[in-house]
Amino acid sequence: MSTEKREPIKNPRIWIILGILLAMITPWYFPKSFGEILVYGIPLWAVIIIISSLLLSAYLSYVMKYHWMLEEDEEEAEQKGAK
Amino acid sequence: MELAFSGWSGILILVMYGLIMLGVGVFTYLRNRHIHQSLDEYYLGGRGLGVMVLFFTFFATQYSGNTVVGYPPSAYRQGYEYLVSVPFFITIIMAYLLFAPRLYRLGKKYKLITPAQWFEKRYKSKAVTILAALLMLYGLGNYLLEQLVAIGQGVSGLTGGTIPYQVGVIFFVIIMVIYGWLGGMRSVAYTDTMQGIALLFGVFMLLIGSIVYFGGLPTSADYMQAYSPEKLGVPDGPAVVNWFSLLVLIGIGAAVYPHAIQRIFSAKSERTLKRSFSRMAWMPFLTAGVVFVIGIIGINAYPGLTESESEQLVGMMASAVASQNVIFYWAMVLLFGGVIAAIVSTADSVLLTFSSIISNDLYGSYINPEAPEKKKLLVGKLVGLVAVGILILVAWFPPGTLYQIFVLKFELLVQVAPGLIIGLYWNRLHSKAVFAGMLAGTIIASSMTLFGLSFFGVANGLWGLLVNVGICVIGSLVMSVSVVEEKEAKQVIGM
Repeated sequence: MSTEKREPIKNPRIWIILGILLAMITPWYFPKSFGEILVYGIPLWAVIIIISSLLLSAYLSYVMKYHWMLEEDEEEAEQKGAK
Repeated sequence: MELAFSGWSGILILVMYGLIMLGVGVFTYLRNRHIHQSLDEYYLGGRGLGVMVLFFTFFATQYSGNTVVGYPPSAYRQGYEYLVSVPFFITIIMAYLLFAPRLYRLGKKYKLITPAQWFEKRYKSKAVTILAALLMLYGLGNYLLEQLVAIGQGVSGLTGGTIPYQVGVIFFVIIMVIYGWLGGMRSVAYTDTMQGIALLFGVFMLLIGSIVYFGGLPTSADYMQAYSPEKLGVPDGPAVVNWFSLLVLIGIGAAVYPHAIQRIFSAKSERTLKRSFSRMAWMPFLTAGVVFVIGIIGINAYPGLTESESEQLVGMMASAVASQNVIFYWAMVLLFGGVIAAIVSTADSVLLTFSSIISNDLYGSYINPEAPEKKKLLVGKLVGLVAVGILILVAWFPPGTLYQIFVLKFELLVQVAPGLIIGLYWNRLHSKAVFAGMLAGTIIASSMTLFGLSFFGVANGLWGLLVNVGICVIGSLVMSVSVVEEKEAKQVIGM
């Protein structure tokens, strides 16, 4: 395990991607016709919002797992020491 | 609310839920007798909550019974525009990324118990800490009031009025206080887990039942295309602004709920906290998403309801589903029991945090710092009890003219965010600027709400928050922070 500390706020790339995803989950960019096209009874624009929301959740899970490491190594070392 | 399945089965399920909650309290008490000597053990479960329990206790702070009963009517009235309720629960997790990693670390380092204690540690200013603590107490108090009213209405609805509103409130408040006192955060978190599972199960059964009985989304879409195409349409300009302001306000506001922050301190380890948040990031689809679909199905199932009629939508749909067969019948009883349990679980978290701010920040830091922890705990518990008593009275005898002041919660709670979050990263942030920002934000947000003002469709709390951040930043740049103060802040943050 690396001992490198990672904090999400210090990584500008993460916030750029989150900014893009935030823009994608806001319905400002759809032509009017997207309200008339239905996919299994859901308007197309809403389908895109749902997909974007899923992407946001996936990206958040990824960031938590790989870009947030402040205490973990120390805590695991402590735990091993305690055993 | 009129429910076809209410009556003795409702009473049975409520008594059963009540007994389980009490059982959890007694069990926790027997297993952890030492917790009543230590604020850490009582309010934070000894900082030892594991992934599942931590996850469900976060779940209970974000999703209440109101999500199940109140969101479908909004979806019914607004149509797909209300789809915003799914992503706004995700932006809460995004907001946590702004501060939870560091706050967890500092919480561990300084053994922080409440969010107000972070203000004290960071700004070393009595004024800032007390203002933050009061804002949190006021917001939490109103939040609790809302839950108490909802418990009463829910119980009387589920039992077909057999158990009156007042008796319902008293019954669950007594149970809540007993298990809270017996086991502190541990009791609260364990009962949250049970309540969360019951709620999820019930909501899914309602979804399945509604699709079978009323038809799914395509049927509903056919109806909307013919009679109310605007409910399918792309949101227009003002609606987009409203959508975005909800994403921001709810994202930040719900992430800095004092009871949510306290759960960051309760995590067993960083890994536990990360895993719980990761799971939370997916929950909007299973909760807000499902109840949204139920509301959309309702458009076709019960067309043309007025606004007040539509508030009863979930009850109507559940009654229809329950009359299908015995499995759905009991699933709906379980659902409504779960709704009430979920309201209780939100209320108990709020009450625990309320007491902890009294114990630790007001009484424990300023009134009687020398008191032993046992005494601080007792004071927190008793003041919490008095507060609940007062709130019950307010719920029963609502004051005619000043009722508005009991509505403010989100608008106020969100005003602690700049001091809390920016203070984690910026050493120069001045305590006086934080105080002025918090006060100005509070006054703006609450007077806009009280006088019913609104600008550009942006939520009132957000206007307050913008001014608040502006004052914090500009004030800190203008006022000079002494080298010593800046150094001190740097030392506290220590990163």
